[in-house]
Amino acid sequence: MAKKTYDLLFKLLLIGDSGVGKTCILFRFSDNHFTTTFISTIGIDFKIKTVELRGKKIKLQIWDTAGQERFHTITTSYYRGAMGIMLVYDITNEKTFDDIVKWLRNIDEHANEDVEKMILGNKCDMEEKRVISKERGEAIAHEHGIRFMETSAKLNINIDRAFSELAEAILDKSAGREADADHARIAVERRPSRAPPARACCS
Amino acid sequence: MSLHKARIKAFEDILNEDVINMEQLQKLAFNGVPDEKGLRSFVWKILLHYIPQERSAWESTLLKKRQLYQQFIDEIIVSPGGPTDHPLNLSPDSSWSNYFKDNEVLLQIDKDVRRLCPDISFFQSATEFPCPEIVNSNGVKRLHKRVEQSVLKYSTLERRGLGVAKLSNEIRRNEGVNSGDYTPLNEGCEAHWEVVERMLFLYAKLNPGQGYVQGMNEIIGPIYHTFASDSNKEFRKHAEADCFFCFTNLMAEIRDFFIRTLDETESGINYMMSKLSECLKKNDRAVWEQLQRQELRPQYYSFRWLTLLLSQEFSLPDVERIWDSLFADPQRFNSLIYICCAMILLVRDNILSGDFASNVKLLQNFPPMDVSLILNKAVEISTA
Ligand SMILES: Nc1nc2c(ncn2[C@@H]2O[C@H](COP(=O)(O)OP(=O)(O)OP(=O)(O)O)[C@@H](O)[C@H]2O)c(=O)[nH]1
Ligand SMILES: [Mg+2]
Repeated sequence: MAKKTYDLLFKLLLIGDSGVGKTCILFRFSDNHFTTTFISTIGIDFKIKTVELRGKKIKLQIWDTAGQERFHTITTSYYRGAMGIMLVYDITNEKTFDDIVKWLRNIDEHANEDVEKMILGNKCDMEEKRVISKERGEAIAHEHGIRFMETSAKLNINIDRAFSELAEAILDKSAGREADADHARIAVERRPSRAPPARACCS
Repeated sequence: MSLHKARIKAFEDILNEDVINMEQLQKLAFNGVPDEKGLRSFVWKILLHYIPQERSAWESTLLKKRQLYQQFIDEIIVSPGGPTDHPLNLSPDSSWSNYFKDNEVLLQIDKDVRRLCPDISFFQSATEFPCPEIVNSNGVKRLHKRVEQSVLKYSTLERRGLGVAKLSNEIRRNEGVNSGDYTPLNEGCEAHWEVVERMLFLYAKLNPGQGYVQGMNEIIGPIYHTFASDSNKEFRKHAEADCFFCFTNLMAEIRDFFIRTLDETESGINYMMSKLSECLKKNDRAVWEQLQRQELRPQYYSFRWLTLLLSQEFSLPDVERIWDSLFADPQRFNSLIYICCAMILLVRDNILSGDFASNVKLLQNFPPMDVSLILNKAVEISTA
């Protein structure tokens, strides 16, 4: 067996509408760089980054998915193995925010029950074009009992923090398990520790 | 005569016949079409069944098609009449509702064409032949203008019932969308990406069952680039119309890759991916087994390879060379499978020694390589 250079392996997934900045977020996190010239993702892309949390080396295997509807059959097949999912919207685009509900439904249908989730409101550097207030983002996250953060891939705001918080949440859950090449395939049987569902909001 | 000159002559000989011998042309083009004298541009038009084999029909066909394209522009973009009923008319087929739906499509196209081939400056530069009705309209007919406005959305209107006054405020606020170097050019000029945007929008409007799917921009891009760089001015002038129809013909063959509900059919993308996997299994069992063991599924890399005909995996000149072979193959999509399989075989040693992560990376970012190596290998596989 090859020598392990990490203690734990976490599989993460980035989802959200096309153009919200998923690829930019991932690129900022893995290469600490921002460029405006990304081609749209077709199918699925993949990056790896190792982080250290509480003295443990954690290898993050991150899948970046295409946002457009057409690719959903391809991309939903990745939900199952994911231990953490980042759901991204664009604070300057109302539709991407409205679609969060749709993405959450997708997660419910296709992901492991106790997958750790996080909602990111990206492009928070564009204050002058903002149409979704931070409060609305917080509200929907709270309603579903999910972590929330506003980010900017462009100005590198909260990108590292978002990934380490998500990783930490998974770590909390999986504490005690040993690194194992097949680790990701072990289904986690524990009940999800979801916050009590808030009553549906009537606007 | 040099070898290269001899090749050019061989093409010219075939093209000078009264009736082009398709089989001969395909055979010759399979090994690459020279870029000189607009040969590639012309040969692709024949291979994609746009220009007919009979020389006598060339002129009238081109004339007819180009007029038809102009008509599409007029009817769909220049004078569609605009929405007529009240913006708050929410019936699903109100003209406003359609207008907003179109704008959603346009928004997606706009995002994608502004990201087209960023490594070369071609698409950001001005075309010699802008569409006069559009570029001299004080901006109002420009498609990206509509997109800037559509940022205020249907949903906003629908949900909150904003008044029309508020609506025009929003329009003003959203102007000047920042878009890097892909900025629209001044009145009277038009960048190549704007031309591509127009073709894709027309295609989506004329093929409502399919609409626009991301990735189509990567299919139309190389065709348009080839046509718009033709050394023959007359062909350059009509690059847009010609490209539109060639793209339409090509899409007729591959559109099932872009339709989700057809994924499982024999013309769909899943079938193609499993064919590739079979081809690999047959040609290199060890590599196939390694990928199986690592659960590295074909979707992780070959979905994009196949859907986009490899256009995102190589530089533009290499893509054009690969497409010579694809378009020249009478069983076009067999050769696509062989080429993809050849790519995997050429990095087999790396795959055999790599772990899951490095192998996904390798296949998703295929290393730069002499394409003739790949194409030769593909021929080898196909005749094995
Ligand atoms: N201002 C600003 N722009 C951003 C930010 N993140 C991404 N963008 C821009 O948003 C556009 C889309 O970004 P991508 O990362 O390609 O979007 P995506 O979510 O991966 O889109 P798909 O691959 O089509 O699903 C790009 O033009 C980026 O320049 C950000 O934090 N701030
Ligand atoms: Mg992307």
